[in-house]
Amino acid sequence: MANKVVQETFSGHAQPKMSTLVRLCAAAWLVPGLGHLLLGRKWRGLILFATIVVMFLMGIAMQGEFFSTSSGSYLQTLGYFGELGVGVAMPAASFFGYAGGAPLFICADYGTAYLVAAGMLNVLAILDVYDIAMGRKP
Amino acid sequence: MVVSHFTALVLFSFLVSVVFGVLSKNTPRERALYGAKVFGVFVGIALLLGWIMYPAP
Repeated sequence: MANKVVQETFSGHAQPKMSTLVRLCAAAWLVPGLGHLLLGRKWRGLILFATIVVMFLMGIAMQGEFFSTSSGSYLQTLGYFGELGVGVAMPAASFFGYAGGAPLFICADYGTAYLVAAGMLNVLAILDVYDIAMGRKP
Repeated sequence: MVVSHFTALVLFSFLVSVVFGVLSKNTPRERALYGAKVFGVFVGIALLLGWIMYPAP
């Protein structure tokens, strides 16, 4: 399947189909590094997966906060979308019982920064997948 | 997990530098050099700002 996706997206200078781009970017969002793996960039995908997931897990270990949109605060809403950038990791953490950390824990602020940064780094990875699929990057 | 502010800073800088290096450059050597440079700048600027803020109450 990976070869078929690579052939569809980078055949000389041919523009990839919109459905292919959407699939690749969605995959890159859902699992960090998966978009790169589908494009045949194995090591790039694995390194991105390891780094972003480690950052997310460290954020959880430091009891970082999971933002929500129900607070009404613009900053909290932005933080929510930042954390959502990491894909299924956030709902998976909630599913396994992580309720959003302990705000009074001594390292909670660092943990929150790690969680949001992991999401933002995955957004960069998604943009990289798009550029590679469009033929703008090797 | 309890870490000091500096440890959190260094770990954060390392992880971000790895991603920046991987995404910005194309060869392993270029990625490593750029990642190391970004890491150094992250930590260096943090230390510099810390010292600049040191006299403040």
